[in-house]
Amino acid sequence: MAVLQAKLDAAEARLAALDVAHAGWSAAARKDAATRLRAMGLPVKRDEYWRYTDPTSLTVAAPVTAALFDAGDEAPLFNGIDRVRLVFVDGVFDPTQSDDPTTAGVELLSASTADIHWAQGLYGVLEARGQTPVARPLAALNTAAATEGVLIRVTGKADKPINLIYLHKSEHSDAILHHVVKLEEGAELTLLENGPGAARFNKVLEVDVADGARFHHIRAQGRDHERRAATHIFARLGAKSLFKSFTLTANGVLTRNEAVLELTGDDAVAHVAGAAVGDGNFHHDDTVFVTHAAERCESRQVFKKVLKNGAVGVFQGKILVKPGAQKTDGYQISQSLLLDEDSQFLAKPELEIYADDVKCSHGSTSGAIDETALYYLRSRGVPLRQAQSLLVLAFLAEAISEIEDEAIAEDIRARLEGWLARHDR
Amino acid sequence: MGNVVELDVEDQIEVREGVDRETIETVQAMAGKYKHGWETEIETEYAPKGLNEDIVRLISDKNGEPEWMLEWRLAAYRRWLTMEEPRWAMLNYPEIDYQDQYYYAKPKSMGAKPKSLDEVDPKLLATYEKLGIPLKEQMLLAGVEGADEPRKVAVDAVFDSVSVGTTFKEELKKAGVIFCAISEAIREYPELVKKYLGSVVPQSDNFFATLNSAVFSDGSFVYIPEGVRCPMELSTYFRINAENTGQFERTLIVAEKGSYVSYLEGCTAPKRDTHQLHAAVVEIVILEDAEVKYSTVQNWYPGDEEGKGGIYNFVTKRADCRGARSKVMWTQVETGSAITWKYPSCILRGDDSQGEFYSIAIANNAQQADTGTKMIHLGKNTKSRIVSKGISAGRAQNTYRGLVTMHPKATNSRNYTQCDSLLIGDKCGAHTVPYIEVKNNSSRVEHEATTSKVDDDQLFYCRSRGMDEEEAVALVVNGFCKEVLQALPMEFAMEAQSLVAISLEGSVG
Amino acid sequence: MLEIKNLHVKLEEDDKVILKGVDLTVEAGKVHAIMGPNGSGKSTLSYVLSGRDGYEVTDGSATLDGEELLDMEPEERAAAGLFLAFQYPVEIPGVGNMTFLRTAVNAQRKARGEEEMSAGEFLKVVREKAKQLKIDAEMMKRPVNVGFSGGEKKRNEILQMAMLEPKMCILDETDSGLDVDAMKLVADGVNALRDEGRAFLVITHYQRLLDHIKPDVVHIMADGRIVKTGGPELALEVEHNGYAGILAEVL
Repeated sequence: MAVLQAKLDAAEARLAALDVAHAGWSAAARKDAATRLRAMGLPVKRDEYWRYTDPTSLTVAAPVTAALFDAGDEAPLFNGIDRVRLVFVDGVFDPTQSDDPTTAGVELLSASTADIHWAQGLYGVLEARGQTPVARPLAALNTAAATEGVLIRVTGKADKPINLIYLHKSEHSDAILHHVVKLEEGAELTLLENGPGAARFNKVLEVDVADGARFHHIRAQGRDHERRAATHIFARLGAKSLFKSFTLTANGVLTRNEAVLELTGDDAVAHVAGAAVGDGNFHHDDTVFVTHAAERCESRQVFKKVLKNGAVGVFQGKILVKPGAQKTDGYQISQSLLLDEDSQFLAKPELEIYADDVKCSHGSTSGAIDETALYYLRSRGVPLRQAQSLLVLAFLAEAISEIEDEAIAEDIRARLEGWLARHDR
Repeated sequence: MGNVVELDVEDQIEVREGVDRETIETVQAMAGKYKHGWETEIETEYAPKGLNEDIVRLISDKNGEPEWMLEWRLAAYRRWLTMEEPRWAMLNYPEIDYQDQYYYAKPKSMGAKPKSLDEVDPKLLATYEKLGIPLKEQMLLAGVEGADEPRKVAVDAVFDSVSVGTTFKEELKKAGVIFCAISEAIREYPELVKKYLGSVVPQSDNFFATLNSAVFSDGSFVYIPEGVRCPMELSTYFRINAENTGQFERTLIVAEKGSYVSYLEGCTAPKRDTHQLHAAVVEIVILEDAEVKYSTVQNWYPGDEEGKGGIYNFVTKRADCRGARSKVMWTQVETGSAITWKYPSCILRGDDSQGEFYSIAIANNAQQADTGTKMIHLGKNTKSRIVSKGISAGRAQNTYRGLVTMHPKATNSRNYTQCDSLLIGDKCGAHTVPYIEVKNNSSRVEHEATTSKVDDDQLFYCRSRGMDEEEAVALVVNGFCKEVLQALPMEFAMEAQSLVAISLEGSVG
Repeated sequence: MLEIKNLHVKLEEDDKVILKGVDLTVEAGKVHAIMGPNGSGKSTLSYVLSGRDGYEVTDGSATLDGEELLDMEPEERAAAGLFLAFQYPVEIPGVGNMTFLRTAVNAQRKARGEEEMSAGEFLKVVREKAKQLKIDAEMMKRPVNVGFSGGEKKRNEILQMAMLEPKMCILDETDSGLDVDAMKLVADGVNALRDEGRAFLVITHYQRLLDHIKPDVVHIMADGRIVKTGGPELALEVEHNGYAGILAEVL
């Protein structure tokens, strides 16, 4: 009981430190979210879904500090892709570095204060749906207190990808961003995200994918080492719709990426994938919850982590098949490659199934690099470091291949190669 | 024996590997529902209902225990009072009233301890006879036809709270093996019991184990001396007969250096409308180069189709592979009980030690099972293997819950886990909750799990050969379980195979 | 070119002694064959020369053009001109065959201070050499050796050899698992590479491969030593009389 009280007190303290008073259409949703948060409290390590990740630095009321990172001469990711750029510096939209959002039909959450808005039906709504059976207090906190975000409604096929770029320029920044994306029937959008965001970054992305719509999401969480991030994706999928999300993470002392996907229309497809490369004081947690609530849907979870120098990789993935969700095809793979003695992989891949005509499977492996393959490469003259990089890339390939757009996939691959080569020296 | 039967329809369908003629015959021979649901009419002596220190003292006194044992029990009882019943399992049952139970029941005829099996109440002997466990040394446990020579199996029979008798004691003694009721061991071999009791499952381990530590009334004790290969299989048969009575047995097995034993455990209970509690603890200590095989066929009364009655089965089983190159193999067939909460575990402490876990868990009607294992790798070059087959039917919920952990020092270790679930009907559930913790990089962990329904082609194939639907399902399920059935001693494998069929009664249509 | 002196090797795992003083000299331009019964240490010799883990050299030396091989990392040995065609080529899922080959070629060039091959040039050369070995474009796209048949794997080894142009080629049981046609294809590939500056050490259990790759010198290995050395006729003697006869004569 003492634990619960501490959780509730922490929630109060955090809310007290934030500005949750808002005018306009989102006010009611924010109030509801604050109520939700007050009822569940903030997470602690004793909570079942935080057993492998200590949430303290994500929940404390006081801001955390993260030294700035200099990427040197590295060109920004996705530079070669024709896209609409929207730049946020420490969680604040920067029009001077951005393209005009209105050309892409994007509205800024901070500027949207009308009393009635299409996003009302989604803002905090998908998040609230995603709070059962597993509580996600940091997402409720986000809904209550988000200061910025984008509201995107797509009716046809978007001309070009929208790229949200998150820059980290202040050592103490504490950013809370909340995006809402609505894809109307048959619409299609590619959303790119990159950059660390802030010293501490709390982000929620709510995506409503209507019947027949297609949503592609590719995200890179940079090399900025000291940042901390808690991100949530809440997606609802209509019939025959498609949702694909890929995340590349390299370093960061603490990253918790949650994806909560609900397949509500028949024949929907949801894929969520992640490639993480961690070196040193790195803790990376992917927590995924896929609910099959309709027939003949397909879901795939592909997560690969390469860890060394004490890096910790966590995977908690669940496939829930509700009664009646017949002909479900659910697949989940989580694998780690531990490059030295100190690193750890902690996994909890779950299946919870209440329909009989289903095909669900999961696999999880952990181990060192394949010594025989390494020797074979070296016997052909490839130096040790390079041989390791090659095998690391091969290991990550299955996750990267989840990106449909070949140019974007190549961009991610090249970036990864660059990072690995940097370590080679 | 061929696994593929020629078929003259267009497509030849292959019956899942492992389904053979023998299985078909066994399954066809099946009839009737829970067959051990009868009751033995016997005068029973009860301790007063409820749980308090006096009951703990009474149990200790009934067993003629020394003071240290009583203190041990009382310490556990006091600890238990501070504990909360765990609720993390995927099990849904009403709150258990621990004061509305009898914690001690024994047949009156056992008032004076019989000196030999000849003095045991014929009613009790008849009970075991009827269960297929004759307590006569010249007779043997259900011999298998075709086997070259029927094997001897020594049996310790536990009836409600007391051990009725143990067979082949003398013959075992010649080999240096101690096999007796644990109540007797506490009196006769206090040093051994003191040294090992609670050393694998401490008094404070968990709510149910702590309860057991306070009130266990009997169970079996096995000691295999250094270098001895136990000359026969050992078996304990548990029977709950009395109403509203909990059974709390405690088993302790110690395998000294280089020894070997295969141990079998069976359990049944009469049909009752009320739930009955069973909270057992099994501790196994395995020293250098020793090997223990522990097989269970758990067939407690599962309750009726509506979920009325049945045993609540909360069991803590753990093997500690203390010595280098020691080995343990758990095999379990869980078909009974209304609620099963059970995770036989292996602590792989010794370098090069090995743990294996083979499990079939069948949940039908309103049964709920949350079962699995823990493989705790502490020593170097340790190996573990988990094969779990879960079958859900009716409105049952069946969960595999497991933990594999590789500690930083457990270098070059291996784990392989295969965890398959089969669903029969759309009202049941099959769940998998594995925890995988890898803390060094020279170890390799592989986990695979699948969930699917009974293959329609296979069912059709069987039915086209004249089997009714239930037979066909039982047959296919037996094939699905084959890998685990093969891990059982032969006598048990046959029994288990038929149990699979009985447990699935009414699962189709 | 290759000079092995008094080489003693044991297994790291269980201290089992495998090589008990191997002496062998292979001159440039020559083809030497090592034959011997199973367990004589033939494959160990090839692994030790190429630098595989798990073996401990307790005595002796192995030099390539005067440079000590045993002090080098596997990739340094490769860059120095040593090539081992594996008895069991390794499968590497996720790494494309073409990527593998180009990485290897350029790594060796870089190590030798040579300019890297351009993508275009590389492609041209690979296609040409692959064609001679009947390796199609599809096989080049697949991950290294994954799903290859036995014959495909061996041809792939020879392709690597042709691309890397080593000085000293060791072929470890390259004929195992091959039918006659496949063996001929592999042997043609090897013969095309024979020249003045290159030497071969062909390790084989049977004489049949030596019908296609004609050796200059044949060694018989038994119990970790070279027990007999002779001309091509020695291989025929093995063919006719088996190893038992020869060993009885020697021991």
